[in-house]
Amino acid sequence: MNKILSNKKVICLFLFPTLLLTAVIIVIPIFISGYYSLLDWDGIGKGIFIGLDNYKELIKDGRFLNSIKNSLLFAAFSLFLQIPFSLLLAIIVANVKKGEKFYRTAYFIPVIISTVVIGQLWQKIYNGDYGLLNSLLGIAGLDNLQQDWLGQEKTALICSFIPILWQYVGYHMLIMYAGVKSLSTEIYEAARIDGASNTQIAFRITIPLLKPILKVCVTFSLIGALKVFDLIYVLTNGGPFFSTEVPSIYMYTTIFDSFNYGYGSAISIFIILECLVFTMLLNLFFRGKEV
Amino acid sequence: MKLRMKKLGALFLSIAIATQLTGCGSGSSGDTKTASNDAAANDAAASDTAEAEEQAADTESEEEITITIWHQSVTDTDPVKRIIEDSVEDYHELHPNVTIVQEGVTGEQYKTKIKTAFVAGEAPDIAYMFGGGSFVKPYIDAGYLLPIDEYLTDDIKEKIMDGMLENCKYNGKIYTLPTITFLANLYCNTEMFEEAGADYPTNWEELLEAVDKLKAAGYTPVILGEKDRWPGMYWYDIVSARQVGNEAIQEAFADPAKFNSEGFIKAAEKMQELVKAGAFNETMLSMSYDEMVSGFAAGQGAMIFQANWIHPNFEDEAAVTNGKVKAIAFPVFADGTGTATEFSGGGTDGYYINAETEHPKEAAEYLAYLSERIGVEGYQDGAGLPCWDASNVDTSSLSVLNQESAELMATGTSYITWWDNILSADDSETYKNLVAELLALKITPEDFGAKMAELQPSELY
Repeated sequence: MNKILSNKKVICLFLFPTLLLTAVIIVIPIFISGYYSLLDWDGIGKGIFIGLDNYKELIKDGRFLNSIKNSLLFAAFSLFLQIPFSLLLAIIVANVKKGEKFYRTAYFIPVIISTVVIGQLWQKIYNGDYGLLNSLLGIAGLDNLQQDWLGQEKTALICSFIPILWQYVGYHMLIMYAGVKSLSTEIYEAARIDGASNTQIAFRITIPLLKPILKVCVTFSLIGALKVFDLIYVLTNGGPFFSTEVPSIYMYTTIFDSFNYGYGSAISIFIILECLVFTMLLNLFFRGKEV
Repeated sequence: MKLRMKKLGALFLSIAIATQLTGCGSGSSGDTKTASNDAAANDAAASDTAEAEEQAADTESEEEITITIWHQSVTDTDPVKRIIEDSVEDYHELHPNVTIVQEGVTGEQYKTKIKTAFVAGEAPDIAYMFGGGSFVKPYIDAGYLLPIDEYLTDDIKEKIMDGMLENCKYNGKIYTLPTITFLANLYCNTEMFEEAGADYPTNWEELLEAVDKLKAAGYTPVILGEKDRWPGMYWYDIVSARQVGNEAIQEAFADPAKFNSEGFIKAAEKMQELVKAGAFNETMLSMSYDEMVSGFAAGQGAMIFQANWIHPNFEDEAAVTNGKVKAIAFPVFADGTGTATEFSGGGTDGYYINAETEHPKEAAEYLAYLSERIGVEGYQDGAGLPCWDASNVDTSSLSVLNQESAELMATGTSYITWWDNILSADDSETYKNLVAELLALKITPEDFGAKMAELQPSELY
């Protein structure tokens, strides 16, 4: 078996189908998009080659810059709220005395529910007329805080972030939980004999040993935040007045509502590059830590 | 060295994939092949009956012609599906030498399919195009579609209702024929109007009065789902039509600088007046179109300005509003030049002829035949309002709202379709956003006019 697998031709043979699929479905379209981004094209007629004009326009486009600001803000929320919270949950759930399975499942449920369902659910929570949130505020006597949460610029952005953060907490928790569980129990026993407290164990032992897992989670979370689309599309579709717009939503409306294939492709290329750059920066960051 | 080998390998691989891709490109022609096989099969089946016909009718022995038509009426609840299917058979009986091959694909898939087919030169002789100009314009500009002026006889034109053919013209040429259409009217919840003691508004003052009375009675006067932005656009469409009249709107589309004039700014002022009077629900910016329609049907608003495609929602057995809705023409303004016989709407889904077709004359004849049948029979089945003379239709089976809106339409003199169908896709986004900002009181009517003046000129279509 080892002999077969060490044969380079065999390796190629096994990898080829995946490579082909990835190339045809992902890699080549990216290059095609790259070409489209150099065109002024409505998607149907003939495109006019305009060089980098789309990109020049992009960096001056206030709506685009605002959408980047939103996505970076969301990335920050993901990194500094979602990940630490997931980590906390993972460590707690892994050490809980009773009902470990129950908690694990409960926190993971939002992940398996369809995003559209979650969007509808939270829309009902936020609804200005009969929403759950407003009803709760009413019961608590805070009538003056009742508002149309998704219909106002000042609240819509935060309100649309919360469901996404909430949804994926369980996902990251599960990855980290698996990581925690895979750590050798001997280390913990040794630590306890030395008289370490739970907090000390968490910060001195669990988290440092979890670093490879954390890296995966942070990367997923960051990339996910930069290309977030579905929940925002369902909840607000970028509105009101672009206050919740992120680059992927802007790209979608540019291409499919405004028929600006060229400009929209330029945005998509930007998103790809942005994700690549951030992944590289993260890698650098974690490598630096390891040395 | 190894690295170079890898790079070389990658290069070869990409070439291999590229050739695969082009392979895919030509592969899709297989589709049309099967389609034409189907056609041949149909031909064979049809020619049996055709022979019998020919003996009886002894029509001119023209060559056998096959015309393909693609449409997107595939659901069984869509009356147009049956009409197309019937028309294919009936037309063959009328013209035994012509065989129609129809193929239906639904919704979004259809959009992709038709686009690819035209670009690849494999489009059918006749193709359905979604209502309104912004979808079809690029196809006309690219020269894919055929103007049909020369094939239209006065006979056909006479049967089309006044003003409707205007909506089929682009650059002065007719490209399609109307079928059924949709008009926007003001729908009032009769129960709420009665309880609030409000009258159905016929002018601006009465509208504001009704708003006040409905508000006082605890109702939301007008329900509006502005999250999707186009429902609000309908309001500016009609308010400006009442303010300046349809003719001035047409002029403004040809020269958008005219949007920055007194009439259009006044219309924008009236929109904000309505907002300030509390006419719309406060949650309009987070309410979607669907929520708006189901909200009205559930009795959450006293008025809604929408097109007649919402009738089934309001007349549904389970709807609170069943039997309690009245369709009226939008109120007129004393200081405006628009009249109650000018309508917002009137755009029509149309079937277009491929510029590459081998049988333009026959295709145009079938187009006229089919369009009239959809217009008349579609109306009878409650699918929309007729663009063709439907005076012979028995309307007793139609719902109350369908009858009311047909009566309103019978008074119509001029139609301007939804503006997002007239403006280019990009500009219609701008326009819808501007109306939303207007409704949120984020911009002044003057700003609105100035920004509208920056749109590209477009033709009424």
